Amino acid sequence: MKTRMILLALVSVVAFTACKKEKQKTNTTSPTAFNVSVSGKIVTVKNLPADTIVGITSQGQPYGAGKYSFFSLETNTWVPNSDSATTKWDLAFGGSTIRVNNVTSGPGAGGAFVQLANFDDVTDVSNDSTFRVDNHPVSYAIPKGSGKGWYNYDGVNVLLTPLAGRTLIIRTASGKYAKVEILNFYKGGVTPATSASDEIKTYQQRFYTFRYTFQANGSKTF
Amino acid sequence: MTARFVLFFTGLITFFASEAQEISFSSDSAKLLTEVVVTATRTERRLGNVAVPVSVISQKQIQQAGSLRLRDLLQETTGLFLTAGFGAGVQMQGLNPDYTLILIDGEPLVGRTAGVLDLNRIAIGNIKKIEIVKGPSSSLYGSEAMAGVINIITDRSRKELLNASLRYGFGNPDEGWSLPFGNKAFKQTDVSFNAGVTLGKFSFKYSGNALYSDVIGYRINSNNRVPQPVGRFTNMLKLGYTVNEKAVLDVSIRNGYDYIKKEISVSNIGGVSNSYGREINNDWNINPVFTYKFSKKVKSAFRGYISRFNGDEKLRFKEKPDSLYYDGFFQRFYKVENQTDITLKNMTFTGGAGYIIDQARSTRYDNSSSVKQNTIAYGFLQYEWTPVEKMNVIAGLRYDDNKLYAAAFSPKLAVRYNFSTKFYANASVGRGFKAPDFRQLYLNFTNVAAGGYSVFGTIDAIKIITQLQQRGEIAELTDDFNKLSTLTPEYSTGVNIGAGFMPSSKLSVTINLFRNDIDNLIESRQVATRNNGTQIYSYINVKKAYTQGLETEIKWMPVKHLTLTTGYQFLLTADKEELKRIKNGIEPVRDNNNISRTLLRSEYFGLPNRSRHMANLKLTYENKDQVFATVRSVYRSRWAISNTSGNTVYDEFDEFAAGFVMVNLSAGKEFKNGIRLQAGMDNVLNYQDINNLPNLNGRTIYTSIFYDFNKNKKTR
Repeated sequence: MKTRMILLALVSVVAFTACKKEKQKTNTTSPTAFNVSVSGKIVTVKNLPADTIVGITSQGQPYGAGKYSFFSLETNTWVPNSDSATTKWDLAFGGSTIRVNNVTSGPGAGGAFVQLANFDDVTDVSNDSTFRVDNHPVSYAIPKGSGKGWYNYDGVNVLLTPLAGRTLIIRTASGKYAKVEILNFYKGGVTPATSASDEIKTYQQRFYTFRYTFQANGSKTF
Repeated sequence: MTARFVLFFTGLITFFASEAQEISFSSDSAKLLTEVVVTATRTERRLGNVAVPVSVISQKQIQQAGSLRLRDLLQETTGLFLTAGFGAGVQMQGLNPDYTLILIDGEPLVGRTAGVLDLNRIAIGNIKKIEIVKGPSSSLYGSEAMAGVINIITDRSRKELLNASLRYGFGNPDEGWSLPFGNKAFKQTDVSFNAGVTLGKFSFKYSGNALYSDVIGYRINSNNRVPQPVGRFTNMLKLGYTVNEKAVLDVSIRNGYDYIKKEISVSNIGGVSNSYGREINNDWNINPVFTYKFSKKVKSAFRGYISRFNGDEKLRFKEKPDSLYYDGFFQRFYKVENQTDITLKNMTFTGGAGYIIDQARSTRYDNSSSVKQNTIAYGFLQYEWTPVEKMNVIAGLRYDDNKLYAAAFSPKLAVRYNFSTKFYANASVGRGFKAPDFRQLYLNFTNVAAGGYSVFGTIDAIKIITQLQQRGEIAELTDDFNKLSTLTPEYSTGVNIGAGFMPSSKLSVTINLFRNDIDNLIESRQVATRNNGTQIYSYINVKKAYTQGLETEIKWMPVKHLTLTTGYQFLLTADKEELKRIKNGIEPVRDNNNISRTLLRSEYFGLPNRSRHMANLKLTYENKDQVFATVRSVYRSRWAISNTSGNTVYDEFDEFAAGFVMVNLSAGKEFKNGIRLQAGMDNVLNYQDINNLPNLNGRTIYTSIFYDFNKNKKTR
């Protein structure tokens, strides 16, 4: 009992100091307010909309406005669509597709691959890594499809959940490195229950919560 | 309100108790040992001499619980878990409904949908008893008897009888206590009639049952409630002819007919599409048995069995009345068998052989008019030996030679030792198997409504996919495509070790430890992807799993007239490949904070749809004046329903259905003039879980009257 109390106290202190360190910053220029928080080396982005649903076709297919959300891992900011042809962004999010800034997607030096490892366990980019690039719309550096890239899609319950133990290794538009973990695909960072209504599942999807560590000095260690 | 009803029942019990006179203590625990059972050995044996775990549910228990269908009863039975989806199936020792054989008088019921035999199809008001054998029993029964066997035994006695019963029940799940009015209320009427007459060497017996209920149906993942009128009719005719004291002929003919009206609302994001139609299940079973006693030592039974099941569903869209969705499944099952028992001084040899023709056709196979057929030739042997009075040994084996897939060999060994009249121990080990079913072999189904995925049975999968590939329609073959081959039966090895302790005539305790190792489990796996992204699935023997646990039952009569029974099952399950990955520390998981990390062994939950803890507690009051009252409660702990934690295994961070408690009450009195009155309330706490327990109605109140015409005649 006593040790538990001490532990609890310790945890509170750590949590308190951690909170203090966090720099809260809300990006008001984005179409929907999202949230970026920095804690040590790790940046967490919450609720980044990615071509959210605006309507449903007569066949019952939900659709978005067809606009990607661009994001810079270097500056921790959302990048306006007008800068899509620049090297200002590193990742573009649209539905379940994540694109990197290179070849068919942009003018940058971007690239990516999916590493089968937990985010915390990835300490560097190994030298024998092969970075893939986008070949829009045929294939992407971060593969699309259930179980292939970063997510699993449950067709019965109509839910998309990020696969555990998959870290996206990203080469940014400027040729630097970052590791990214997609945490959630739904508004507020909470996957709806399987029993949730179709409406909730439809309109709360396409909101990314993810975390990353960007190595600004250009080295391959995080 | 709840309190008032509990008070009402307590009052009822007190009233009956005050009425009670002295009682003759016909000890049920003594009966526990002398009760004759047939399912465990396919010969008549006293329960006290059977080496495998057997439980018996008597007609009286069925009556007192007010159970109408097999589902109602089994949900109150220790260690059984009722599954939802394709009707109500039963999970035994943690194995899916596909692996429990359901018999009527020793012959299998056919007509399973996706491996599930809907227990709502089976009326149990007119039966003699139910025997449940746990552990692999393929050594006697062949395919499907992997987890165990549930045998519904009808009355074959030549007794004269004439009785009828009527029951009416209602509920209103949304509004709690209100009366059976309003469009969300449901009503249920059940009528039964039984008559039996013996004329010289001939005997005739008829049982009829009709159930009409307008239970409210739910569509999974929606809160749409629609009335689903169901009519279920069961007719059974039994003819007996006693040729002489050596030869007896019995023929039983049974028909079950279900008509289920359907109104389905499918909300497909944009709008709701309504369809209406009906489902009909029509089940015929004809079972002639000729028994001949060659001598006191040699007895032989010649059995024939014809079973045919037609299930079809027709739906039309309200908006488009010419549209027709038609789904039909037809099964024919023919069997001939001889079983001969030779009884010597302290041993019995049972031997048998038979031949089965199993046929099916379905609109979901390549061609709805082509009949698929499997034939099975089989033989079995069982040796039962009583070396000393206290000991019983059973050794058995069966060989099934299948036309469509590999043969199966199923041995079994069981030992029981009665240390005294108060204590026994038993142990058994056996092998069970389940043959691949027609669906796994022949399915050819594309689900247009749900995105266009296809499932092909293994017989034609390679051919169909190769053709698609030649036409350039296949984008990719998965690794599992190369694993496609002829399916082999699924196997299990089951071990049961148990003991029973009866310190007095008022207390009995039984305990059973079990472990089932299942090999070769058939799983549907994606084998290819079409150019348009739709998946193609087929079946492969890949999985290995185990289920293990403990089951215990206590029966105690603390005071006169009162019996307390309680049962509990603890269950652990695992997929062996998953377990290996977790033990090697290579299975990731996304925890409650969405963060990926390595899954710990303690967080692994095993197979989905299984509760770790299940318990029941029943209190029965019964006096000499034929007055009874029962309070029965059932508990099930949470079970995993959906994998959302970013891996392919079920763990603490996945979605679970909540554990629940259900309480049922009943009370009644049998009068000397042959009338029996009964009333009850099922699901007193009105527990509902539309998504995970769609078969569970809300609180239901019922009352019934039974009249035995013969009894009245005798009294006069």
